[in-house]
Amino acid sequence: MTSLSRLIDRLEDAVVRRTFLEKEHVQAVFFMFPLMFFILVFILMPVLGTLYDAFMRDVIFLEKEFILFTNFRYLFSDPGFWNAVRFTLLFVLISVPLELAIGLMIALVMNETIPMRGLLRACVLIPWAIPAAVSGRVFELIYNYSYGAANWLLRVLHITTEPVNWLGTEIGAFAAVVAADAWKTTPFAAIILLAGLAAISEDLYNQARIDRAGFMTRFFKITLPLLKPVLVVTLLFRTIQALRIFDVIYVLTGGGPGGATEAVSNFAYKYFTAGDFGYGSAASVILFLVALLLSLFYVKMSRFGEGVSHG
Amino acid sequence: MGEETLKKILLTGGAVLTILFAMLPFTYMVATGLSTGADFLQQGQDYGFTLSNFATILFAESSHFVRYMLNSIVISGIAAVISVFCAALGAYALTRFQVPGGAVLMLIVLAISMFPPVSLVSYLFKFMTWLGWINTYQALILPYVAWTLPLSLWILVSYFKQVPLELDKAGLIDGASRLQILVKIILPVAAPGVFSTALLAFIFAFNEFLFALMLTTDFTARTIPVGIALFQGIHGQIPWGEIMAAATVTTIPVVVLTLIFQRRIISGLTRGAVKE
Repeated sequence: MTSLSRLIDRLEDAVVRRTFLEKEHVQAVFFMFPLMFFILVFILMPVLGTLYDAFMRDVIFLEKEFILFTNFRYLFSDPGFWNAVRFTLLFVLISVPLELAIGLMIALVMNETIPMRGLLRACVLIPWAIPAAVSGRVFELIYNYSYGAANWLLRVLHITTEPVNWLGTEIGAFAAVVAADAWKTTPFAAIILLAGLAAISEDLYNQARIDRAGFMTRFFKITLPLLKPVLVVTLLFRTIQALRIFDVIYVLTGGGPGGATEAVSNFAYKYFTAGDFGYGSAASVILFLVALLLSLFYVKMSRFGEGVSHG
Repeated sequence: MGEETLKKILLTGGAVLTILFAMLPFTYMVATGLSTGADFLQQGQDYGFTLSNFATILFAESSHFVRYMLNSIVISGIAAVISVFCAALGAYALTRFQVPGGAVLMLIVLAISMFPPVSLVSYLFKFMTWLGWINTYQALILPYVAWTLPLSLWILVSYFKQVPLELDKAGLIDGASRLQILVKIILPVAAPGVFSTALLAFIFAFNEFLFALMLTTDFTARTIPVGIALFQGIHGQIPWGEIMAAATVTTIPVVVLTLIFQRRIISGLTRGAVKE
């Protein structure tokens, strides 16, 4: 009986192994093909095309001409480009830590067993699920000078007597963009951090309670150190996304007032629509290289962040 | 006051603030959509209730809103289905076959998902112009498939890893082909995961802005985020009531999906972003 079942096992293995050996490579190619096709044709080819265009004089109605680094030379002496770079970096530097801080607070609340936790989680997801272009429009109304909700709030809380000119001043427009973006993207940070929190063993907290450690101590001695890998990964991920900000600015400020909130993506897009594909591509290539560098770093980091992982 | 009481107060306060943070702009949007005038918060103004903004965007001859919505749903829906199907094939190969360089490929795909869209869009524009596809559904569907593939692949790989290999073995012995095994055994077993993946791919495609802005020219293929972003009044005054009504109608399907599938969305997002 046992020898019979062993024989069957061996037959099974033989059937399976034969199928594996003979067809596996052919089948792997077949299974991977659609995926590779889409990524090659609609992502990698366009990226290479943009790189190629960056070395060309590629202006509409003019003959295309290879000009090597001329676009980049102009770009690096263009105050408009440096202005966009400065805004983008400042935006990343302020909005990402802000989002992580608020996101962490939200994650801490969501991680506790409180009544209606499901509803709370669903509420948090709503800003994430709304298209940025749509929420940008809502924030445009919120910042309206004479009847927007922002100035109404400031008035009823007696914080200011005069309405604030949000979208008409440099600092106001900057704050407006940061707030609108934070509203849209904080939930995502919160969800990722929540997964990190959930992975921390409850035993550690119970042990700490036995040792009479208060919740502040527990937060600083257990939660924060153990969450650090997830925090770093989220920070990198959000930095890469914040670098490419486009939608909110396009809708909310249009890069104004006077280019004060123009991000690199918006700068490049402006040249595309003006018909100067070479110059716009050169600006995109710079953004791409920065994002690529950071994402390689991210890939490396998230690999080390194993064990932190998933829900 | 004990520290635990303080914690309780902080938690309750945090929960209330979180809900206000998430819901206030949303509520303001709906309230403005239902108002006779968007200036109801101005001193001396009253709130007037009306459904006329909704009636205008949904039924007025000149409003292309319903068309934008239809475009968005069809484009994102088809893109999500193709994306999940291609990702399922890939995820099956990566979890079942010894794909040479499979692990590296996963990491490359992850890095690709971080590319800024602006570094693709000009070339896509030229490519679609060359194909004569500007302002068509396929001009958006195909890039959206590619754009959502990294996410779909990562999530599906993590779900497929949990499906025991014995199921494949049993299928092979019964003489089923690998494709049959994937379609008839693995996909049904991993159905909840497949569904969350499709849902996320749909939401990502539905929310995309830059490609849709550059690759469409009018209501024939324009999607709803672009439609709302470019919505301007004819008479100079911005028609806030109508814009917010349109924003509300756009948001409703996404919000309903989010409320129902909150758990799935969270688990999908977490798998996609913080990897195993």
